Amino acid sequence: MARADFVTGWVLILLSLYVIVESWRMPRLEHLKVHPLSVPGIVPAFIGSVLLFFGIILVIRSIRRGGHRLGLTREGFRRIFDEPGNRRLLLTAFLCIGYAGFLIGTIPYWLATGLFVWVFIVLFERDRGTGFRVQKWRLVTAAILALISSGAVTLVFERLFLVTLP
Amino acid sequence: MLIENLARLFSAIWGFVTPFALFHMAWSSLLGIIIGALPGLTATMGIALITTLTYKLPADLAILVLICVYVGAIYGGSRTAILINIPGTPANAATTLDGFPLAMQGLAGRAMGVATSGSVLGSLIGMIFLATIAPILGTYALKFQSFEFFWLAIFGIVISGHLTALEDPIKGWIAGFLGLLVSMVGQEGIHAYERFTYGTTELLGGFALIPAMVGAFGFAEVLSVMQSPPPKMAEAPRDSIFPKVADVLCYWRTIVRSGLIGTAIGIIPGVGEDIGAWVSYAAARRKSKEREKFGKGSIEGLMAAETGNNAVVPGAIIPALTLAIPGSAPAAVLLAAMFIHGLRPGPMIMVESPQFVYQVVAMVFFATLAILIYGVALSKILLKILAIPKTRLMPIVFVLCAIGSYAITNRTFDIWVMIGFGIAGYILRQMKYPMAPLVLGIILGDLMDKNLRRGLVLTDGDLTPFFTRPICLVLWLITFSSIVLSIDPLRHGLESLYHGLRSRIRPGRLKASR
Repeated sequence: MARADFVTGWVLILLSLYVIVESWRMPRLEHLKVHPLSVPGIVPAFIGSVLLFFGIILVIRSIRRGGHRLGLTREGFRRIFDEPGNRRLLLTAFLCIGYAGFLIGTIPYWLATGLFVWVFIVLFERDRGTGFRVQKWRLVTAAILALISSGAVTLVFERLFLVTLP
Repeated sequence: MLIENLARLFSAIWGFVTPFALFHMAWSSLLGIIIGALPGLTATMGIALITTLTYKLPADLAILVLICVYVGAIYGGSRTAILINIPGTPANAATTLDGFPLAMQGLAGRAMGVATSGSVLGSLIGMIFLATIAPILGTYALKFQSFEFFWLAIFGIVISGHLTALEDPIKGWIAGFLGLLVSMVGQEGIHAYERFTYGTTELLGGFALIPAMVGAFGFAEVLSVMQSPPPKMAEAPRDSIFPKVADVLCYWRTIVRSGLIGTAIGIIPGVGEDIGAWVSYAAARRKSKEREKFGKGSIEGLMAAETGNNAVVPGAIIPALTLAIPGSAPAAVLLAAMFIHGLRPGPMIMVESPQFVYQVVAMVFFATLAILIYGVALSKILLKILAIPKTRLMPIVFVLCAIGSYAITNRTFDIWVMIGFGIAGYILRQMKYPMAPLVLGIILGDLMDKNLRRGLVLTDGDLTPFFTRPICLVLWLITFSSIVLSIDPLRHGLESLYHGLRSRIRPGRLKASR
């Protein structure tokens, strides 16, 4: 956690410095005879300063705990990607972002949703050890679930809530 | 006044006795219990998702649905906590300590009965305070000026950050201030200047709250659940699940104490149900005559945890209604939903729509009634739902996350907001940053921004009223002492200063006495 805190601390410091600089660059609106203490940049600058303070504390604290020795190795990265939980996480993120970020709006909504649910179930429930019959049954179950969920969500949002689906 | 308020309350209760309202109560409470019972689906996520299903409902029914989901979810989490030792929602973490050992002793049914009676009584105690404190606080809040509101926002962030990250409060504060920073994006409310929008029209109104919440609590949760190994399957209890009157009578002191603690924690901005349960549990343990049973299957411990977490629900609604400052993360989404439905919670509520406060009390009452009925009647169906594999449930949850975020304003941009907040929420959660202060920060950002600047203009830059007005004085003293006492170098500095002063004063005194 100390290493993560070290990195987060630096990210916070950089972010807060950026916020402070941006706040400073915001207009003072003198031509509108605006009170100098009501200018738009004052509150973001305050928040940026507080985050800068916390970022510095986080970095100092993590250095004391040895967090600055990041010890990044290729072996370490490989171990992260070999861990089954992390693999499941990456696959979930890939499927979800692919569906919501790219598939929706590109093909009809019901098709995108059905496809996403089907692929998700099939990929996560695949089992290399089982026979063809079991696998076939799983594919069919996943297809039925995908059809039902996609149809239900499309109907509810399009017909009941009158939402123009993407 | 009392008669008038009672009349309002009964009129509100009677107003919901219609087939349509009862139908909505029935399905939403059940859905809430299911959401709470399924590990990985939290009350906040449930309310955020269901908000998207209430757009077309009248405002009072929409809020009724959301409150039923809220109360149901906090109660529903106790089922998984007792049966499989996994809290259905973070609010039920303390329930596992005694609930699961009771289940292991073959007393799962009794434990579920205790959880039901504790949750029902906790909600009722909180409800009584909601009915009595909210109108008083609402009237008192009318006296608040910019200075008080500014400190209330900072106080909320700092206290919420402290209490939700007790082991490392600095992370709670960082989360809170990051939330405030997020709320700075978009057109500001005084001069309409566009901050951090970079010419993007989609960001003019800032980040929409519901997509951000759906991301931080929904998508982040989907990622966490899929990363973790599948939970154990729950077995049906063999003994009776009916709540026993003897348990209630035996532990009435614990119930009342936990109800009071839960309500009080609910009123503190952004703290939430999990802390309510832990504090109630700790207090019950301290006061108990059977302290040695705690953690090994104590009925009293289970009663305290379940009463405490459900009492937080009405407690958290009190500041949300009267100050527009939510007492917990689910209450934050509820507050956002109220704004979406055209309601205006805040100091003017007792002037503009006092009836609504009592309607909310009535909603909590009906939701409590629903959990009592379902708690007794629906244990087997719930077990079947718990058996649904996460690989089939999570894609459907994510489909709802995506369409729910989109449906508010029909913008695909909001889907990206949901994804962004989901990834950020997941990373922050992995690094032990609590989500409640972040959400509170997003909600309170505008309040803090406007009131600090307004206050400074009113006093022409003089900071004195910010520190000398009575309520401000209390709020800033608590805020600063919370920060100073939690940061080691600052605390050590303060301690050495104190010792230095003491050693200087002592010789002086000695001389004087001689």
